Amino acid sequence: MSTTSFSSHRATPVFKRPLIAALMTALLTSITVTGCIAPESNDSEPADSNTENKTADKAKNVATNEAVSVTIISVDTIKGSVDLAINPSPLVVYDMTLMQDLAALDVAVDGMPSGLKLNNLHSKTQPDPKKVGTVFEPDLEALNAMQPQAILVGSRMAEKYNALSSIAPTLNMSIDTANIYESSKQRLHDLGALFGKSDQALKLQQDIDGLIDETKTATKDKGNGLVIMVNGNKLSAYGDKSRFGFIHTVLGVPMVDNQIKDADHGQPVSFEYLQKTNPDWLFVIDRSAAIGEESVGAKAVLDNPLVAQTTAWKKNQVVYLSPDSYLAFGGYYQWMQDLTAIKTAFSQAK
Amino acid sequence: MPLFSNHATNIDNANSDKSISSVPSRWQQKVNGDLNSKSRHAKIAPWLINTASFVIMGMLVLLSLSIGVADFSWSGVFHSLANHSANLDSSLMLVSRLPRTIAIILTGIAMAVAGMIIQVVLKNRFVEPSMVGATQSAALGLLVVSLFFPASALIIKMSVATIAAVFGMMLFMLLIHRIPPTDFLMIPLIGIVFGGIIDAITTFIAYQTETLQMLSVWQFGDFSSVLSGRYELLWLTGVLCIIAYIIADKLTIIGLGDNIALNLGISKRHVTWIGVGMVAMMSAVVVVTVGMIPFIGLVVPNIVSRIMGDKLRRSLPAVALLGASAVLLCDIIGRSIRYPFEIPVATVFGVVGTVVFLWILLRAPAES
Repeated sequence: MSTTSFSSHRATPVFKRPLIAALMTALLTSITVTGCIAPESNDSEPADSNTENKTADKAKNVATNEAVSVTIISVDTIKGSVDLAINPSPLVVYDMTLMQDLAALDVAVDGMPSGLKLNNLHSKTQPDPKKVGTVFEPDLEALNAMQPQAILVGSRMAEKYNALSSIAPTLNMSIDTANIYESSKQRLHDLGALFGKSDQALKLQQDIDGLIDETKTATKDKGNGLVIMVNGNKLSAYGDKSRFGFIHTVLGVPMVDNQIKDADHGQPVSFEYLQKTNPDWLFVIDRSAAIGEESVGAKAVLDNPLVAQTTAWKKNQVVYLSPDSYLAFGGYYQWMQDLTAIKTAFSQAK
Repeated sequence: MPLFSNHATNIDNANSDKSISSVPSRWQQKVNGDLNSKSRHAKIAPWLINTASFVIMGMLVLLSLSIGVADFSWSGVFHSLANHSANLDSSLMLVSRLPRTIAIILTGIAMAVAGMIIQVVLKNRFVEPSMVGATQSAALGLLVVSLFFPASALIIKMSVATIAAVFGMMLFMLLIHRIPPTDFLMIPLIGIVFGGIIDAITTFIAYQTETLQMLSVWQFGDFSSVLSGRYELLWLTGVLCIIAYIIADKLTIIGLGDNIALNLGISKRHVTWIGVGMVAMMSAVVVVTVGMIPFIGLVVPNIVSRIMGDKLRRSLPAVALLGASAVLLCDIIGRSIRYPFEIPVATVFGVVGTVVFLWILLRAPAES
């Protein structure tokens, strides 16, 4: 609406001077924009919007009662349960974990952030999604133009919850890093229910669970492990409560050092720490690979006389986790890729 | 050469007298009072101070070599030295401990000397490389080159960082050109704002390109990644410090004022640019290899100039020694308090440096 008024004003020959014309159009558009937003801003508070959604859904339900009955489903989110009509469309997703699950479920996503580094985030059978900002910053104009029925967000976008929920029902479906397995299972199940693909979601979960069991058998009694991230030329260690903790908690690989506390970016450690703790297995996240950087590979950083003294390096027991485990932890493809990598490495061990 | 330094001292006194009469600000008086009272402080001979610092540094070096996560014993090293054969202890020493300690010393020297140079060139006690946009610009240059040419060699990245640092400092010099030179606190204030703006640009680019994590490698200096073969670039700062010592007298004269430099036949423009270029290079090398470490360049030269005055030929060795000791101490603290994990030396120095700097500020009026 605002765009049409903008162009019509620009077309009128009344404003000869560009500066005045620009000022006037800016003024007019700001008036029209505030005019547009004013009625909507009333329901920008989450509590309000929830109740309004419910009433709106009810009304819809009544109206379409004769034709097709619209099923309302309650989805459990970080901000409490949200009632939503099944199969919301257009759908906007800002979280890579959820994108992976939806891609595996073959659900079409209509809006996605741009500049994503992974290539398994939307199913190949659907048209390319529209760009709606970045994973940290939504493009509110684009969202407004799209008028989505639902916006799914994760931890990276959680701060922008209020701004997003003024546009459409927003579901914060972040994964709990301390409990990735249970949390991601719940999310996959919820997404299946929301898009009427519960059976398929169950099948995907069985894929993951099956692979977990196989990997567990492979890792049993093969020694302890340490998860490290290589960022530039620096190292940090991750413990069992981090997003890589599933290696210890789900797969049961013993931690080489129980002192590692949970921290967003791990505990900074030196190469001497690796030499001293001497893990049997080293799980490496190459941070520069995760952002499409190929300057200093993690392998080159680790290739030094101190790391060479560890059992992991001597026996070639270094597992490089996929970039997905950093960007889309708890997603379907991340589970499958990392479990396969770990299973393969452990079953080749002598 | 002796004639040269004679001039310097004479002019030094003349200049202080002049500026006291012309600038009645309390801070100025304070600072000049310090310059004048050099004779009072000269009770402690410079060689004595330097020897004491050297002994302290020696002890810190031994401590730094002994502390680490891996198992290590000195007897193993001596044994290997005696037998002329390598063992685990001696290789650990050569691969990890010695390089780390050398890197710390070189970084400490470089940042402190760079701070001293920039303070003299700008004739202001309250600036350091991170307050004139040098380190921030270096990080920005490094980020940009890493984004566009991720596979480029370290030397190229470093050159780009240096050029960016020089450019950033040029911009800053243009900015402060417009404010009256007597306005003592405006220069650091503008510097902080200027550095903040460059920092904001860098962070914005990193945020948009998802490279914030990569940026954090340079923004928090720490020595945990130093191994033999991964710090040698820092030796370049050692060379720069020697050059600084060679041209120390010229820098001192520049610090005395434009007219004096002109009278003594020193090209202010040339020496200033050499100084700026050296500070930019030192900052860039340190940022590229270990990351930013704030406050060293501010705290160390201030302490030394309080004791020994501003004559660089005399005070530079003390600045270098104290800078090295300060960073050594902070790195030892950072390695010990959360053993076996590490706290970046930048964080430790941030805390310690703030306390020391506040102490310098608060102690100042009591002395006059």
